[in-house]
Amino acid sequence: MPEAASAYRISDVSRLLGISTDTLRYYEKIGLLPAVQRSTGGVRIYRDRDLSRLRFIRRAQAMNFSLAEIGELLQMREDPQHARDEVRELTRRKLAEVERQLGELDTLRRELQLLVNLCRGTSDGCPIIEGIDTPERE
Amino acid sequence: MPLRVEVFSAPGCSKCGHAKTVLRRLADDIGGGCIHWREVDILEEMDYAVELGVLSTPAIAIDGKLAFTGLPSEKKLRAVLLKHLDGRP
Repeated sequence: MPEAASAYRISDVSRLLGISTDTLRYYEKIGLLPAVQRSTGGVRIYRDRDLSRLRFIRRAQAMNFSLAEIGELLQMREDPQHARDEVRELTRRKLAEVERQLGELDTLRRELQLLVNLCRGTSDGCPIIEGIDTPERE
Repeated sequence: MPLRVEVFSAPGCSKCGHAKTVLRRLADDIGGGCIHWREVDILEEMDYAVELGVLSTPAIAIDGKLAFTGLPSEKKLRAVLLKHLDGRP
């Protein structure tokens, strides 16, 4: 027997994803989230698919994508086969942007790893702090 | 063209001092201007260190490629340096 789809109330979604209930309603109002299913009593019932979409929105916002851009990317996400050329182009540009930021993050990760290893490797404190505080030489 | 050997160190890293001493002695032993070595303070050249994949000190790079992380034995270091020199025209 197939497993029943999970159902979440707005407060559950808010807690699970760290998005306020006002924001969740706003996303629905501006169409980022399709009209959420309602119970007979009118209570919003979110499904796993909605949560997946919301996670995508949250990640894209963390990358400083605008809500308009996110809306377009969601179109691509919903129906990639029929996406407009402009949406495909936007998706490609955003992919390049994410890859550039990943490269920056990877460099930062390795710099921090190096600093952590250095601090651990010395017996008399952390020389790095002094190094960081020293103004760059001309 | 001499073999380019770089020792990555950090201020306050006690093992780095030893690495530098060993390498300097080796360079003198092998001699003949075969080895050009320089000390790289990773605080000064962190971008370069990270680009080569240095994640701790001391580290040794040969001809722009990370060869050792940590301090190899003098014997091993000598063997690797000689192998690189042998492979040169």
